Amino acid sequence: MISKLHKRIHRAASRNGGTLGYPDAVANPQSRRRVVARQKEQGKSAPSDADTSQLTHAEFDERGAEMRPLEFGLIARVFAYMRPYRARRNWLLLIVLVRSLQIPALAALFTHVINGPLIARDVRGTLLGAAAFLLLAIFTQVTLHFRSRWALELGEAVVHDLRRDVFAHLQKMTMSFYHRTPVGRIISRMTSDIEVVRSLVQDVLFMSMVNVGQMIFAAAVMFWYDRVLFLMILGLAPILWGLNFYFRRRLSKALRAAQESFSRVTSTLAESVSGIRVTQSFVRQNFNSRLFLSQVVDHSNFNMQAAQKSGALPPLLELNNQFFMVGLLLFGGYRILGPGVGAEIAPVRAEALVGYYLMSATFFSPLATIGNIYNQALAAMAGAERVFQLLDTPPEFADKPDAIALPPIEGRIEFRDLSFGYDPDHLVLHDINFVAEPGQTVALVGHTGSGKSSLIQLISKFYLPTSGQLLIDGQEIRDIQSASLHRQMGIVSQVNFLFTGTVMENIRVGRPDATDEEVMEAARRLDVIDLIETMPEGFHASVGERGEGVSLGQRQIICFVRAMLANPRIMILDEATSSVDTMTELRLQNALATLLKDRTSFVVAHRLSTIQDADTVLVLDGGRIVERGNHHQLLGEGGVYANLYRQFVQATAV
Amino acid sequence: MSPSSTSESNSPAPVATVSNWTLIKRMLGLAWIYRWGCIKVLLLQVAVLSLGLMALGLFGLGVDIIQFHINPKAKVPAYPLGLQPPPDMPVMNVVFLIAAAMLVLALLRAALTYQYALASNHLVQSEIVVDLRAQVYAKLQRISFRFFDTNETGSIINRVTGDVQNVRLFVDGVLLQTVVLVLSVSVYLFYMLHIHVMLTLACLASTPLLVVSTWLYMKKVKPATLKTRELSDVMVRTLSENIQGIQVVKGFARENEEIAKFAQANRNVREQQNWTFWLTSVFSPLTSFIPQLNLVVLLCYGGYLLTHDPTFTLGQGIIVFAGLLRQFEGQVTTIATIANSAQQSLTGAQRVFEILDAPVEIQSKPDAVRVLKARGTVRFENVTFGYRAEEPVLQNIDFEVPAGSSIALTGANGGGKSSLLSLISRFYDPDQGRILLDGVDLRDLDVDDLRRSIGLVFQESFLFSHTVAANIAFGYPRATREQIEQAARIASAHDFIMELPDGYDTILGERGNGLSGGQRQRLAIARAILLDPPILLLDDPTAAIDPETEHEILEAMQSAMQNRTSFVVAHRLSTLRRADRVIVLEHGRIVESGTPDELAENSSFYQQATTTQAPDEESLRLLGLDLEARV
Repeated sequence: MISKLHKRIHRAASRNGGTLGYPDAVANPQSRRRVVARQKEQGKSAPSDADTSQLTHAEFDERGAEMRPLEFGLIARVFAYMRPYRARRNWLLLIVLVRSLQIPALAALFTHVINGPLIARDVRGTLLGAAAFLLLAIFTQVTLHFRSRWALELGEAVVHDLRRDVFAHLQKMTMSFYHRTPVGRIISRMTSDIEVVRSLVQDVLFMSMVNVGQMIFAAAVMFWYDRVLFLMILGLAPILWGLNFYFRRRLSKALRAAQESFSRVTSTLAESVSGIRVTQSFVRQNFNSRLFLSQVVDHSNFNMQAAQKSGALPPLLELNNQFFMVGLLLFGGYRILGPGVGAEIAPVRAEALVGYYLMSATFFSPLATIGNIYNQALAAMAGAERVFQLLDTPPEFADKPDAIALPPIEGRIEFRDLSFGYDPDHLVLHDINFVAEPGQTVALVGHTGSGKSSLIQLISKFYLPTSGQLLIDGQEIRDIQSASLHRQMGIVSQVNFLFTGTVMENIRVGRPDATDEEVMEAARRLDVIDLIETMPEGFHASVGERGEGVSLGQRQIICFVRAMLANPRIMILDEATSSVDTMTELRLQNALATLLKDRTSFVVAHRLSTIQDADTVLVLDGGRIVERGNHHQLLGEGGVYANLYRQFVQATAV
Repeated sequence: MSPSSTSESNSPAPVATVSNWTLIKRMLGLAWIYRWGCIKVLLLQVAVLSLGLMALGLFGLGVDIIQFHINPKAKVPAYPLGLQPPPDMPVMNVVFLIAAAMLVLALLRAALTYQYALASNHLVQSEIVVDLRAQVYAKLQRISFRFFDTNETGSIINRVTGDVQNVRLFVDGVLLQTVVLVLSVSVYLFYMLHIHVMLTLACLASTPLLVVSTWLYMKKVKPATLKTRELSDVMVRTLSENIQGIQVVKGFARENEEIAKFAQANRNVREQQNWTFWLTSVFSPLTSFIPQLNLVVLLCYGGYLLTHDPTFTLGQGIIVFAGLLRQFEGQVTTIATIANSAQQSLTGAQRVFEILDAPVEIQSKPDAVRVLKARGTVRFENVTFGYRAEEPVLQNIDFEVPAGSSIALTGANGGGKSSLLSLISRFYDPDQGRILLDGVDLRDLDVDDLRRSIGLVFQESFLFSHTVAANIAFGYPRATREQIEQAARIASAHDFIMELPDGYDTILGERGNGLSGGQRQRLAIARAILLDPPILLLDDPTAAIDPETEHEILEAMQSAMQNRTSFVVAHRLSTLRRADRVIVLEHGRIVESGTPDELAENSSFYQQATTTQAPDEESLRLLGLDLEARV
């Protein structure tokens, strides 16, 4: 019970670290303690600079820049994604134009009804005007419906296609990409980064067009009403724009800081929940509660700072409106009533006052919206850049155009003077020469870092040799179509990865067209069908995310059956180190023996029985084969292997 | 800090479902605690609203004065509060005065709006949320493991983050908003009625429609967005599994099937999204159309009034009315938001109070016996225990371990070995029977003392990303460097620690930072024995270790177990052989027990283990190891 939970704890904790993207989790209670202590020394309640800057730096590394200047190339590329939907895009552009006319027109119409028939007490005219207003209003709402729906759908379509392309591209990437890229980073390309690209299409592009158009038309109408008053508006506009810009900048910074402090809160929380057993058994409850409180207070301080910024903008915008009204009254009043107005200025019409009052909203409100959209656009640029960067990263290698499809193979694997390094300057395998005959089992033995895993990665064609050759049935591995090789190969990795779904579905990954009967037959041949059938729903038992709900032993068994179903010529197996109970261990050993039988097998071995039964044991040290032979031969030689084995026997069985 | 937490923690049974009324009462109680903050926020809000109204009224007055002056047909403006300017004052001065007053009001209003934003944020984020989070967290630290067994990590985290926010939403989003709504709507209504009764009624005739359509929209769009979120979760999960299982995908050449799988998930999201978009783009024109409809009514009816009603003016009549209408509609649409918040806060409250009310099953009795230095005799007396009442995982366990001796627990997975250890630390209490330490029932001992008397090592050690020293001192942060080194020496960790770049001050990374499994377990052992506990529990510490490095730990285990009552869960023969006594558990019962030698002779389980684990004779002969000494 404790052990199972502990596994989950561990995963949760490392996942956590992953999202923070910071190996030294500033988030955990202990390092917070250090920070808090330092704060106390310095006598301040805000988090120390060192703390935040470290974290910001780390987050920056992980997420990349938050914003990026507008770049035509990127916009054009996003635009290119609209090509399949160009009919809709063109309609949308037309509607945008119509809408930017409609909104000022509504205000203008209203003004004219008031200034014209209404003031003149013309009831018929008023009614006619009202009817026209009603019609225009309905028309406006109908276009709004299509404007918003089509823009939203277009954005979704673009996002859909982008996701499709990114996913397909990911399938082409080689293992080296996956080894160096954290899972969280790839997922955020697909989620948050693509999300901001969506906003580029849905909001930025079309909304900004409507807003800019609306402003221009509103300005034109106001200019037509009265030029001098218009100058006043023109004077206010940049102030408004500047204020907006300044405050949004500061706000987004403050919000980010608050967000970061919140992610510290949640990761502490996650660690506390996961580590609850450690906490309670070491009686740390009070200590942790105090740490957490300090973190929550810290977060609320950041929140307050953000509130100070976000709280300032609306009153300032509102103040602008009030100023405008005051100015309108004063300036307009003066122009209408005041004596000795300069001859060059035409006297303002009283009606213009009403017109300005109503029209000003259509002119000013886009200013704030555009400010917001502009920020969104910058964020979208950063997101789009990262998405396209991923799409533009070529796979390290791909099948040659003239690569041959492997016919059904015997399974002879030959290494010729093979050397390999993940980085060509640092070889991890040197001059490997070795032949595995069809049907042989080769056990790989050696310390961590001796090159065992690299060797099996090469046979799996997850990497290509740096120099030398690797031949499958005499065929150079570089000239083989990867898929045709993989179809004849079964791989069982140490993690025993299972997908969400049923046991049956997981086994069928080995051969998707297999019938239920064939799946069960595979389990029967490994003599483990009873172990699967004793699960609550047998083959239809569901497997949770990351194999949750299935014990370690069961997971290994499912992976064995999966490989068995694929019926490969070559088996690659990295034995799990986690021990299971004796009974299950025995069953696993037997199943494994059946699985490896008559196939060319390479096994990174942790089980005594696997090593003892292997046809050849390869002892690796520092990337070289230092000893080879079967178990008893090697023991007789009394070299590296014999020493390893002696240690092992003394530790475990004596 | 938590005035109510003491009474809460003693409430008896866990809450299954609490009636909404009870929850509301409790949240009202919560709001009462913060009443002064609430009142402050409310007063500021009311002040802001009334200042806005005054400014609007003044603008209307200004328009009317100008109109009156230039248009002889226009009506006499009505001055508020009888503040008639002296008749000889130039009109321009009157307008100037009004403008100045508006300016003052505007500045005052801006300042108050800002203050309001700060005050409400302070009340909500710095007081209510901080207090609630601290309370829930503190409770979580003490709550029994059962809670953690039955709830997922994500859901527990959410209670401290999202659910707490939902609970506070009751204060600002429901309670305060309702008061503001009622106040402002009545003021607007009063003002409008004051201008013209029939006009008000005519213009507001469509209001119910507005309320209903916003409400309907929320009702429809909420499940739709929930569904979208679910589908996107599936999509993201498909992606993340693909990446994590990429080796399987590539190894079995399943790329095309994966692409098809993702395409399906991707398409589902798109289709669901389009449905949500359709909803939005139907409702949002509808809700913005209704105010326009009201304007049409205002034009027609207002135009009529302008001609026929002698007191109805352009400025204070139509313009002010249009402004009022806009504000009124803005407020009315918040009804739907409030209803939504109320719903949310009830769900949140249910989940938050569940934690605050959960009984702390394991706690010290008021007259608990302090254990400063236990001798370490542990006795199980007919103990039966289950995580769920009807499914016992341990049955009739009865044995005694003399102080200082070691006992190995073995048997198939799920046999109850780890559960047995949990009972000794009193993470759970037995359902029947009792466990005694030095002759005293565990339930009569001080829990913290008991746990400090026990060192615990798990299968996979949960090390924190802090320094090596801090990790060893986890249970006793004030430990001196000497104490830490002493513990590390016993756990044979001192030598490798000294070889680390910064020795004891090396910061460990999340993934062990290059430490081998064996090294991490030795740190865990050092952590467990730092305070020299009389009892040591080792839950299969070699389970997740390469056999090649296993020997590193065994030595450490051996010296850590010296002179302590030790319980070790193990499968390896080597460990079993070293124990004073071995207990084989199967399906929660002791099926075999005895000294290792006794078991070696007549235990089927033991012999099975021997055959799977022992090297064959030929190998031993080749190694030159003595055959006779083993089996």
